[in-house]
Amino acid sequence: MTHPPFAVLKLPLLLVLAVVLLAGAGILWGRNQAAEAEAGVQEQQAAVNRARQQLDRSRQQQQLIATHLSAYQALAARGFVGAEDRLAWIEAAQLANRELGLYGLDYRLTPRTPAQPALARGLPLGQTNMTLALPLLVETDLARYLAALKARAPGVVRVRECRLTRLDSARFEAVNRPQLLAECELLWFTVAPASEGKT
Amino acid sequence: MFDHRLILLATPRQIGALDWRPGHMHWLGEFPATPDGLSAFRQVVIRHSRLPTLLVADSVDEDYRSEILPHVQGRARDELLGRKLKQVFRNARFTGAWRQVRETTGRRDDRYLLAALPDADWLTPWLAVLQRERVPLAGVVPLALAYQHLLDKLREQSAHVLLACRLHNGLRLSYYQNGLLRFSRLIGGDTPTQLPDNAADEIAKTQLYLTGQRILPREARLQVLLLDPSGQLDSAQAPLNADPAFNTRLVDMPDLARALRIPDDFLAATPEVVPLAAIADEPLLLNLAPPELLQHHTEFRWRRGLHATAAAVALLGAGLTSAYWLQAQELTGRADDLARQHRQLDARYQAIARTFPPQVAAPEQLAQTVALARQLEGGQPAPGPLLATIGQALLGTPDIVLDGLSWSDDPLTPAGEARITLDAALTPFDGNYRAAMQRIDQFMQTLRSTPAVVDVTLRSSPVNADSASTLSGKTLGADAASTPVARFSLGVHYREGRP
Repeated sequence: MTHPPFAVLKLPLLLVLAVVLLAGAGILWGRNQAAEAEAGVQEQQAAVNRARQQLDRSRQQQQLIATHLSAYQALAARGFVGAEDRLAWIEAAQLANRELGLYGLDYRLTPRTPAQPALARGLPLGQTNMTLALPLLVETDLARYLAALKARAPGVVRVRECRLTRLDSARFEAVNRPQLLAECELLWFTVAPASEGKT
Repeated sequence: MFDHRLILLATPRQIGALDWRPGHMHWLGEFPATPDGLSAFRQVVIRHSRLPTLLVADSVDEDYRSEILPHVQGRARDELLGRKLKQVFRNARFTGAWRQVRETTGRRDDRYLLAALPDADWLTPWLAVLQRERVPLAGVVPLALAYQHLLDKLREQSAHVLLACRLHNGLRLSYYQNGLLRFSRLIGGDTPTQLPDNAADEIAKTQLYLTGQRILPREARLQVLLLDPSGQLDSAQAPLNADPAFNTRLVDMPDLARALRIPDDFLAATPEVVPLAAIADEPLLLNLAPPELLQHHTEFRWRRGLHATAAAVALLGAGLTSAYWLQAQELTGRADDLARQHRQLDARYQAIARTFPPQVAAPEQLAQTVALARQLEGGQPAPGPLLATIGQALLGTPDIVLDGLSWSDDPLTPAGEARITLDAALTPFDGNYRAAMQRIDQFMQTLRSTPAVVDVTLRSSPVNADSASTLSGKTLGADAASTPVARFSLGVHYREGRP
């Protein structure tokens, strides 16, 4: 049996060849099926992970909404969220002055500018500078005026700076005449509406 | 399936056939060496033509020679044995050599048993049938070799064994040394060996021959096994045992059936199967068939090997394919589970998302907006306490007149903190700047002692005594009409609610 008798082994050799081809094809097909199924599992697993994260996030959002929605709506109603209402601000300044029986005031509003990024923290926060100059009889009138203004403020306002100076160097006299001049710089803050914020 | 084979026992007068596979055998019958017998044998062969076949020859014309030859391998050994067989048996067609053992001393040569069927014409008709039907003939072996395997199965351990066996009215005497065939002869059935005494004589003569040929050592005691299903050899046991050179043992049918795992009745009905069953599952040690007769078996082995390879590959392929397919099914099931889980999670998310109010900022922005508004509205120092703190300090220093007061607040500074700038003047001031600075220092100390004041710094003093700047002025006389003014400015770090 030194040399295989190929002449009589044609059919068995063809059979072996066919079986090898069939087996190889079957193995490749099976492996391909398994690989596709594995990829499908990976894809579905990723989708499930995403859906789970989305669900967790939606729960957190639900919690946030439940906690802050009423406060947010109140802020929106006050004018903190939305466009500037300069007329309301001027009215509030004038009304506070009038109600306290002060001696009138001068005001000036500058154009709205974006707030410092460190303060805004990503929100579309804008600030409008209002400069007030009002004569006062005594310095406590300033504290009363600012408290009255904040009570009537249709929005969020913050006193940035105030300066009290004497109107003249005359001695104090017990007459109803303003002795002091208060110059205050106020910041009115507004956040752009939700539609703008979403964009 | 792979061990299914046909085993033939051929004698000059007839041929018997055994269909054998492990655990099962079927005696196909005996066929005389006549035209009818040949025809019947051919029919049997046709029915079993796909089985590998082993032919066991039982003939008077057989020859055995033990030879010591140099230890060589491969082609050299084939050539050496070919020359030796030709030299010993001349033109015999059926010859073979079996390398039995290797010497343990000297050159460590090999010991061979050379065997031949010098006159095998009687085999030709049977072999012609096999060749015509393309039967895969595995080999031709002498009957004595088949009996060697029988000794193994009988667990006969003696060093010198002489097996006396009656079959087809003939008495075969075979000598085995350490379990290996050394010599065999057949005494034909037409001779008077049917007589028990003659059988004992033949055994004694054979012993003398073996001793004379130095095959059997002179001092060795011969273990004689008597195997005769017809029982005619039983009476030879006594005379042999009377001779101290022999030790005789009678092999009875139950022992034989147990050793060969053959039913007793089957063995009693067909005693011819004994040597055939003994050699059926054993490897071929000695083959007397010339290569041309083995061609069909060569093809058969190649074909069977290829079929086995194809089956193994098919099995492997089917196994791996099935494993991959099962894995794919399992993974697909997992993917379906995950998809279902995904749908459930998505449905829960949609249910929650539906509760979100429309036209409202993103929830995170909503929370941020509320937090920012709280930060902006809170933490600013109240003007009242701030002014009261400064006023309280001024009450203790009536010679200081406040010119102006300002404070600033940054939303990014900590809550309740403010920077106050205080502009004031000393009245009266007599031009003594050293005393003025002392009074200012006292005022600063007074401020520092106030709980809400963190720090006080002098922003500008009435006179700048710094070496790096120019200092100029004038000193007024005692009767001067105008009063000089000593103005200064302080910076105050204010923190509301400081303990």
